[in-house]
Amino acid sequence: MKASFNINGKVHELEFAPHARLLDLLRDNGFTEVKCGCREGFCGACSVLLDGELVNSCMVYAASVGERKITTVKGIGSIHEPHPIQEAFVEAGAVQCGFCTPGMVLATYALLQRNPDPTDEEIKEALDGNFCRCTGYVKIIDAVKLAARKVKEND
Amino acid sequence: MIDYEFFKAPSLKEALEFLGSHEGVKAIAGGTDLLVDIRKENARAKGFKYLLDISGLKELKFIEERNDCVAIGALSTHTMLVESPVINKHFPLLASAAKTIGSTQIRNRGTVGGNINNASPAADLLPPLIALKAHVKLRTLNGERKLPLDEFLAGPYRTNRQSDEIMTEVCVPLLGEGYFTNFQKIGRRKAMNIARLNLAVVLGIKDDTVFDPRIVPGAATAYPIRFGKTEEAISGKRIGDIDPAEIGERASEEMISATGVRWSTPYKRIALASLVKRALETIFREAKANE
Repeated sequence: MKASFNINGKVHELEFAPHARLLDLLRDNGFTEVKCGCREGFCGACSVLLDGELVNSCMVYAASVGERKITTVKGIGSIHEPHPIQEAFVEAGAVQCGFCTPGMVLATYALLQRNPDPTDEEIKEALDGNFCRCTGYVKIIDAVKLAARKVKEND
Repeated sequence: MIDYEFFKAPSLKEALEFLGSHEGVKAIAGGTDLLVDIRKENARAKGFKYLLDISGLKELKFIEERNDCVAIGALSTHTMLVESPVINKHFPLLASAAKTIGSTQIRNRGTVGGNINNASPAADLLPPLIALKAHVKLRTLNGERKLPLDEFLAGPYRTNRQSDEIMTEVCVPLLGEGYFTNFQKIGRRKAMNIARLNLAVVLGIKDDTVFDPRIVPGAATAYPIRFGKTEEAISGKRIGDIDPAEIGERASEEMISATGVRWSTPYKRIALASLVKRALETIFREAKANE
């Protein structure tokens, strides 16, 4: 099958198998910032934004999302121009092995879009589908709070 | 590997035409249950030839207050329930239940119709919707039928949906004056939590006396049903004369009389009694505060 996909603001003509998940489509075409963890919708490593909404890309058929806007972590900031959320994760020491980080950053992005000033409880709820097996979450929650402050200052 | 063809429905009409003209079709909405089943090759996910993707049907995504009910489109997501002012105003237990489902990612994709049609014994929306006496609407190319949710369910992971039907909406009748609701759930942890047990309680209180009680535990029986004997034990009683702990014990007995003693019974006997006690105590406290 062939279809066009809007990924990080650019339209790409991509070929894929009819059963392919969005996760496979993205990784097979170089978007390897989307990590493949459990493939069962459990770990959140493969999180992307679909029209701004956080979803597990392993739980979505590529054929299902043709007309929708797909955003990976590279779509919100680059290494040369990081998003304040990405800076906050680095500054707070919230990145250890880095595998869960793309998903964590996107979950934070989706949260701050809706709620610029979240409480600890709201942060835990918003990130409840993203598993980290290194840091133990304390620094990640610190990073989200720092990110919220940075995003507000930037506005 | 399960072999199937994928078809994305551009409209409800085309989805119904596809269902009416093909055999062995499985409809997929948010996919949060089905994709796990397909990946694990669970027996439940076998035996279909076509996967009909209805996730794009915007006409089935709505929450709308009508004269005597709130209509919830079958493709409304759990996130929509959590955030809907209409749901929070009329049926706070439905918003609480939706909030406990899966994770943010799953609540963004998973749908009300999917939760009902997958018919898991541990489905979090089934107990509250049964306790609220919800009806479901099913459409075919030729017409529509409406039936009570408890008649729609046929067993664990089984429903009375015909192969050419699509569920379009769930109608939840508005509660009158004096009703209180509560949802309880326990699982192994907070996030990504499949209920070990859940519970919906809806009941009215007038002049300190209980009327129209509805008690529906989930993951306690083969599929969620009202616990009629437990309801009888509190119906018409003054709340001061009701011992929530004793009613909890009664609910556990009713569960065991339905399921027999199973491997999980030593745990569930105590846990269900506690959930019922907790729900009743919460409601009675709210009723007192409301006086």
